[in-house]
Amino acid sequence: MACVRLGTDEFLPLAPAQVTARGLPGLPVVTVPHPIGGIPAPAAAAKAESIVESVLRALTSRPAAGNAAVTAHGAGMTVGDVDAPDALDRFQDWLMERGWGDGLPAIPPTRDRVAAMLAGPRRKREDVVAVLVPRLGRATVEAVAANAVMAGALREHLPVILAAIEAVADPSFNLQAVQTTTHPCSPLVIVNGPIARRLGINAAGNVFGQGSRANAVIGRALRLTLQNVGGARPGKEDRATHGHPGKYAYCVAENEAASPWESLSVERGFSTGDSTVTVCGSEGPHNINDHGSTTAEGIVITVAGTAGIAGSNNLYLGGEPLIVLGPEHAATVAHSGWSKDDFKRALWDGARVPLARLAPENIDRFPALDPEGFKTRPAGALAPIARDWRDIMVIVAGGAGKHSVFVPTFGATRSVTRRIAD
Amino acid sequence: MRIVDPVGTSAASAMTLADRPHSLEGVTIALLDNSKPNAGVLLERVGALLAARGGALAVKAWSKPGSSVGAAHAVLEEIAATARVALTASAD
Repeated sequence: MACVRLGTDEFLPLAPAQVTARGLPGLPVVTVPHPIGGIPAPAAAAKAESIVESVLRALTSRPAAGNAAVTAHGAGMTVGDVDAPDALDRFQDWLMERGWGDGLPAIPPTRDRVAAMLAGPRRKREDVVAVLVPRLGRATVEAVAANAVMAGALREHLPVILAAIEAVADPSFNLQAVQTTTHPCSPLVIVNGPIARRLGINAAGNVFGQGSRANAVIGRALRLTLQNVGGARPGKEDRATHGHPGKYAYCVAENEAASPWESLSVERGFSTGDSTVTVCGSEGPHNINDHGSTTAEGIVITVAGTAGIAGSNNLYLGGEPLIVLGPEHAATVAHSGWSKDDFKRALWDGARVPLARLAPENIDRFPALDPEGFKTRPAGALAPIARDWRDIMVIVAGGAGKHSVFVPTFGATRSVTRRIAD
Repeated sequence: MRIVDPVGTSAASAMTLADRPHSLEGVTIALLDNSKPNAGVLLERVGALLAARGGALAVKAWSKPGSSVGAAHAVLEEIAATARVALTASAD
């Protein structure tokens, strides 16, 4: 079947990557001036006139050859070498010119450094950990190690990074969408188990902030791998309208020692001796300040009041919004005799968005995207922040203080937990 | 210095594009809406103009459940069985 793809000019940079990854680099793309959404329907329809001749031509004439481009960057499992400038300051410019950096200084991934990263009885360097979209890049152990070196990671960090790569490639994570969406999301890596303590992954004060090497380099290595091997370059295939600071590095450990409940990994069937990573397609963290509440009932009112927002993807795409309870809030909730599930149920009941807070256009649109959740709901009824109370994720992390954070997700993504092979 | 290529290799493979018809005379045009606002509006208008100018037999529309997920396999099969040419869409 002859096919033509329509888009807007703003999104044109995404098209070559998508058609190349599908093995069809010559597939014609025809664009109209951006945007087509957020404008009256007649204005969108009026844009058809300017492209109909191009579409007709593209449907009825032989496309330009483009298939040769597919193998341009190698087809095997072994990663090649590239010539780079010797001087470290020049190397940074060189890296950015190629679109391989993130703006921060990077360590050159020389053969020696990559070999040191791979030393010991580990997986073979040519093993494919995952194939990463949109580029269909082969995340071999060696390719991941090269990005890990660039990120400043050490050999002991690599097992966590490899497990995170495996996790984001699980189909339920929907990496294609997370990598290319306009929504500000990026994989949040949550580490559980003994490895978090051994590597010094911060779970306590300033857990989302700066100052911990392990958090920084694990998160950054994942990001660089997704950008370089996965081919999601900012402003090109990565179409984020804003992005968020976690797109440099977004890795925390759960504060298991300060949690009154079972950890996330135990909730998911692992033992306390297992080390795991969980990845979520997450927005940045938003603070929940509650210095007053002394009971679970009080804390949940504040958390629900923060999480029940109209502009969240989770409202109509589902998914698993995350609440990161500070240890003091968690202790207050547990002191009232509540389990983690009790808290999730109460939060799901309380965190509702009145339909009056949604624009009429969205009330028309959401039922088509979430028929189960919206179609049967009477006008004026409240929308929950997740499709089921079990979809709300709760972990305990952070240090002293009366704060928790709310982390919405992309919505059309599920968190994935993987054991770390250590 | 020599560094290890941080991009690595690609698993993408090359396929051949389908032959194009010489004209749209008598063919059925498929539209695949990605469910973004106004995508269907633009596609339908392009389809109608194509039918009027190219002499197409019919224009039929399908949609994806959302922009962040692929079309169902059954939908793709139905489109392939029904239409000779197809228009898809992405972007906002």
